[in-house]
Amino acid sequence: MTRYVLQRFAGMIAVMFVVVTVVFVIVRIAPGDPASVMLGPDATAQDVASLRARLGLDRPLVVQYVLFLGQLARGDLGESIFLNRPVLSALADRAEPTFFLTIFSLLIASVIAIPVGIYSAYRRGSLFDQATTTLAMLAASIPSFWLGLLLIQFFAVRLGVLPVSGYGGPGASLATRLGHLVLPAVALGVVSSALILRFTRASMLDVLGDDYIRTARSKGMGEFRVVMKHAFKNALIPILTVLGLTAALLVSGAVVTETVFGLPGVGSLVVSAVLRRDYPVIQGALLVVAALYVIINFLIDMLYLAVDPRVRY
Amino acid sequence: MMGRVNSVRRALLAGTAAMVGAFVLPTGSVEAQTKGGVVNVATVGEPPTLDPMVSTADLVGIITQHFYETLFTFDKNWKVTPLLAETMPEISADGKVYTIKLRQGVTFHDGSTMTSEDVVASLKRWMDLASRGKQTAGIVAGVEAVDANTVRMTLKEPYAPLLALLAFNNSAAVIMPAKKMENPLKEPVGTGPYKLKERKADQYIQLVRHDGYKSRSGEPDGYGGARKQIVDEIRFVPVPDANTRIEGAISGQYDYVDALPVEAFSRLQGQKTTEPVLLKPFGWPVFVMNTKQGIMSNLDARLAVRTALSEEDMLTAAFGSKDFFALNPAMFPKDYIWHTTAGTEGAYNLADPEKAKALLKKAGSEGKPLRILTSRQYEFHYKMAQVAAEYLKQAGFAVELMVVDWATLTQRRTDPALWDIYITHSPFLPEPALTGLLSESSPGWWSTPLRKKTVDAFNSEPDPAKRPALWAEVQKAIYAEVPGIKIGDFNALSAKSPKLDGVVPAPWPYFWNASIK
Repeated sequence: MTRYVLQRFAGMIAVMFVVVTVVFVIVRIAPGDPASVMLGPDATAQDVASLRARLGLDRPLVVQYVLFLGQLARGDLGESIFLNRPVLSALADRAEPTFFLTIFSLLIASVIAIPVGIYSAYRRGSLFDQATTTLAMLAASIPSFWLGLLLIQFFAVRLGVLPVSGYGGPGASLATRLGHLVLPAVALGVVSSALILRFTRASMLDVLGDDYIRTARSKGMGEFRVVMKHAFKNALIPILTVLGLTAALLVSGAVVTETVFGLPGVGSLVVSAVLRRDYPVIQGALLVVAALYVIINFLIDMLYLAVDPRVRY
Repeated sequence: MMGRVNSVRRALLAGTAAMVGAFVLPTGSVEAQTKGGVVNVATVGEPPTLDPMVSTADLVGIITQHFYETLFTFDKNWKVTPLLAETMPEISADGKVYTIKLRQGVTFHDGSTMTSEDVVASLKRWMDLASRGKQTAGIVAGVEAVDANTVRMTLKEPYAPLLALLAFNNSAAVIMPAKKMENPLKEPVGTGPYKLKERKADQYIQLVRHDGYKSRSGEPDGYGGARKQIVDEIRFVPVPDANTRIEGAISGQYDYVDALPVEAFSRLQGQKTTEPVLLKPFGWPVFVMNTKQGIMSNLDARLAVRTALSEEDMLTAAFGSKDFFALNPAMFPKDYIWHTTAGTEGAYNLADPEKAKALLKKAGSEGKPLRILTSRQYEFHYKMAQVAAEYLKQAGFAVELMVVDWATLTQRRTDPALWDIYITHSPFLPEPALTGLLSESSPGWWSTPLRKKTVDAFNSEPDPAKRPALWAEVQKAIYAEVPGIKIGDFNALSAKSPKLDGVVPAPWPYFWNASIK
């Protein structure tokens, strides 16, 4: 087992190195320039060149890369060109809304998708199964921004019970801030639930036809115990995988949803950084997101160990 | 001397009757309001910087004008009026020496008192860093403190747009404490009626009342006159999605919502929580020609483009109803002192593919690609580009529409090898000399003897009464040499809560003098 964990850990390091290099190169070869954005539409070429020099963007790419690696080795993701503050601190500021949005969306998605997926599989071919399968298709096809706007229209504009956008003003309490997450979490949760539901149903269907389920039933075990203890436990691996991937996607920024709801999360930080070509923020955010992906995948692998002992061999 | 000063004031930025109408402040109600409250303003996004010297972005100007002030500003008639200066400057007979008296007892947000040293240091920083300041630096021989409350600017030659440049709120000559003007700026410290309390990027910018603020006496007068600190706080909240801004206005979450698509006008009408605010006219879209390199460096090819286009169809596609745009070939709308039809006859809204083909043939550019650089950052740019592309194809142009994001556009337009036409827009500026199209160094690079002759004559004419006629010559030159094509006039839509008083339609909305019922 230790060898397995070490192998996976070494893999993580290699992946991160590749990500660092790819991110650096892609960001630099993309057209656009932070100096032009910062100086505005009427800036002259001379102004832009002088700001580029001040930001160190006129140096050869190799030199910039070596400096970047040096910074990373010291745990420094650099300083945002536009925010005038360390990238790590800008990311830390955005962690709260993104973290809670991820948790709430996953909870909503799981609460909808897992029980419905299990029951759909159990009642395969029934009206319930057909209806939920159709609804899942529909939910998977709805763009989250459109659902978001519908929710805003109904709950914020018509009923006036929830805010349209933002994350609360100065001094807003945690409860107020979380109140701003309800609509985006529902929008994301509904859309994410479709994928989880389909995986849950498919995985349960695989398991429910296995011999040990028939054996459990023939021993006179109650249906609830058969489904939940024997079938569901064995169907968990693909469900965990899709939950992990959904979480990673949400952490990396539900970009569109955050933009629609004006949430100051990681997704909106990345979008504004890309639009302004704020290289340090793009690099830093992508690295953190990549690290989260890798870590979440690592944790899922560790969960596999707990759920299915065969993985060790 | 005062007569001369007054005439400079009159003509430098003489405004328009319509703008007066749009700009009239309900001063009586301002007086009647009680202090307090918070104004929540939804903006299009997060400003790239809070240093108004280094950026020409409108959003930077809108926000920073509340905490930074300039020596001069614009009144409701778009005339230059003093702000931190005590009075309009004394200008020497040869038009080269400006002596500016400063108001006394003005304090910065850090408690220090503004002196001529701060003003001199700020103006030097402006000439070092700001694009408009650099433009001015070439004609400035020196800036010096005469005494603690007087500053003298000496020019190498008369330069009529100087006061407008000192009054403008982006790439702005704002006054900072000499000790707090590092670059990049760490801490915005100004003299404005509100000061920065907290900035949470992409969440809010919180401004609170500057208790030491010394307002000018009298009544509010456009951006000039008294600046009353009625509300306690102003919060600028970035809401990048236009649909969300509309819903935010209707739900009543925001008291003022900036930059809405004009299609939202009818939705905003008849609501209890918000009402539409139309700034008519706001600005003008322009197709800028690359006169330096490529197919558009040929005058006949530029004339062919202009002859091929239907400005009416382009504006209709971009703005829908005629309530939101106007066909106007003149560089300024009718109510402006700068309005003239000189040079525009038979040169606008032609949509004549046959004549355009003949011009293109004369230019020897048939079949050569015409690269139009545009962005969907502003959807109306893209819609106009699509319509223009079809008209240009009919005239025989091989159009390549290059649709990129705004950051890419701003970078690519600086390289003359990468484009032939790019699309942008501008608000109507109070001083024509500020127009980017006239600058030889702006992308487009219009540099001809005719440009130099007409623009130099306009910029160096000290007599305000003669300047409109000289501007007509500049406009004729623009129409003769086609460095760009003005597509028309368009209006801007915002929304405000009925509870919000004292806010008038303005290209750069401001919230001193505003109150909440």
